[in-house]
Amino acid sequence: MGDAVTTTRLTRYFRRHAAVDGLDLRVPAGEIVGLIGPNGAGKTTTIRMLTTLLRPSAGQALVCGLDVRHEAVAVRRLIGYVPQEKGVRHLLTGRESLEIEADLHHIPRRRRDQRVAELLDLVGLLADADRMVSDYSGGMQKRLDLACGLLHAPELLILDEPTLGLDVVSRHRIWDYVRRLRAEGRAVLLATNYLDEADRLCDRITIIDRGREVVTGTPADLKRDVGADVVRVSTDRPEVLRSAIGHRAWVRQITIDDAGDLHVHVDDAATALPDLVRDAVRHGVDLTGVHYHRPTLDDVFLRHTGRVLAGHPA
Amino acid sequence: MTALRAGHPRLQELAALTRRWYLQLVRDRLNLGLTLLQPAFWLVFFGGAVRRMVDDRVTGTPDYVSFLLPGVVAFTAIGTSISGAVPLLWDKETGYLDKLMSMPIARASLLGSRLAFQAAVTVVQVAVILLVAAAMGVRVRTGVVGVLVVLGVTAVLAVALSAVFLALAFHGPGHTTFFAVTGFVTLPLLFTSNAFVPVEAMPTWMALVARANPLTYAIEAMRLLVTSGWGVPVVAHLVGLVGFTALCVLLTHHRFRTYTSAR
Ligand SMILES: Nc1ncnc2c1ncn2[C@@H]1O[C@H](COP(=O)(O)OP(=O)(O)O)[C@@H](O)[C@H]1O
Ligand SMILES: [Mg+2]
Repeated sequence: MGDAVTTTRLTRYFRRHAAVDGLDLRVPAGEIVGLIGPNGAGKTTTIRMLTTLLRPSAGQALVCGLDVRHEAVAVRRLIGYVPQEKGVRHLLTGRESLEIEADLHHIPRRRRDQRVAELLDLVGLLADADRMVSDYSGGMQKRLDLACGLLHAPELLILDEPTLGLDVVSRHRIWDYVRRLRAEGRAVLLATNYLDEADRLCDRITIIDRGREVVTGTPADLKRDVGADVVRVSTDRPEVLRSAIGHRAWVRQITIDDAGDLHVHVDDAATALPDLVRDAVRHGVDLTGVHYHRPTLDDVFLRHTGRVLAGHPA
Repeated sequence: MTALRAGHPRLQELAALTRRWYLQLVRDRLNLGLTLLQPAFWLVFFGGAVRRMVDDRVTGTPDYVSFLLPGVVAFTAIGTSISGAVPLLWDKETGYLDKLMSMPIARASLLGSRLAFQAAVTVVQVAVILLVAAAMGVRVRTGVVGVLVVLGVTAVLAVALSAVFLALAFHGPGHTTFFAVTGFVTLPLLFTSNAFVPVEAMPTWMALVARANPLTYAIEAMRLLVTSGWGVPVVAHLVGLVGFTALCVLLTHHRFRTYTSAR
């Protein structure tokens, strides 16, 4: 089976500003692909081009082999789209919202009510189906949005920051549904700026920054590239410490984040730590904190962009 | 004929969109109440209070309520067209319009369902107005058929005005502009028509303005139907009104396509 999404040099300008800049993105069938980046990176703009809402300025985007520009109507039948904003379904109940969207997706009437009930059940809203959507909590509204995106069993589900602002329980539920979709062989494109979410859920991620691809790979590969361990050092003289330890054999890479903390990628924290502390003392650098951990996607992001990705859930 | 078979995708989406418009209207109780009662209120208010200030020789009839009826219909159509654009304005601003546009529905279905719904709501309002008018002693000179034609004129006028205000909703940068403009245009639109004064009684410059105001044609046609009878002028006014409406719908369709076809 072909790819659910292939873009080549996909570009979108807003006036002179390139919101998406030559992006090559691939979502193979049956995979969950994460589109990761800080606010303003161009995730939503990319998604709006894939959902036929925005016209690419240059380059090409194919959804299941169909060009989003020339075969927009056919593309719309293949995608399920859960936008970033919560669906405000003014004065409707959850069930009515789903019924209406089922009709808009042309699901045959004789199958509609059963399909709606199935999805309400799937997202755990059966008991609340006949309440007004305006009375739903944020998590319930988002689950309803997800159900709406799944109504017509799309080949490709596109989720734009689906767990933004949700509590932990709701986030886990959403992750479960997404995994279930993959098990059915469907493809999922997930935009998020939660790296832990991407790490747990995605088969492959593409990190973008300022509209450009920074790096693509499986979470495991990307973390392995960072190094075996990451030592994070807080000090008021990060530059001095950097030059003090920069030549050491155990150092793979050093980055200083916006907060002035040093992130030292090493092969083995146990052997590196004593050396690091000794060097600091010799150069008269006070250390206010030293931690070490296995690399996470945060470290991947920092390594490739030189910045810390803000926006972590509590 | 296959296009009209029940269960056809276009019919299914039109039915679903109409259901959405309907539920949003009837669940908004206060709005619904005002929608139904306000027009009749205006008729009673103008008919009762203003008639004393009006000279029969100007209106050409001693029956001021009959004279005023078409004006109240037009006033109602304007108000309903403005409030009728609001649901789509919200859909645009909440992003739900984008969600709709990512679904495999025809652009024309969204606009068409809204215009048809607007026409239906306005016809119901005008039916209420006609009942109240009948209770106040108004007898439509052209009988039942005339009443039906008045309702038809109402539907066409509602489509024209709704199209204009929908275009404004899509055109403007946001709801602030929309409400500023609509708040500003309602009364001038009404007062530069023949809603309160017949064209023949106007000074020349005002008559010219009134002749350029499409409301005048709708009002004139209805006024003839209510107060005098059938005739060639009625047909001429109707042709003018339908032409204007077609223009408005085309304009709005174009605006809407530009807005929704991938920008
Ligand atoms: N409709 C628009 N008009 C002008 N600029 C826009 C528009 N949409 C997005 N942008 C700009 O494009 C960039 C990318 O935005 P977006 O794709 O929403 O980022 P993300 O979803 O990753 O947070 C931002 O700089 C944003 O301001
Ligand atoms: Mg976004």
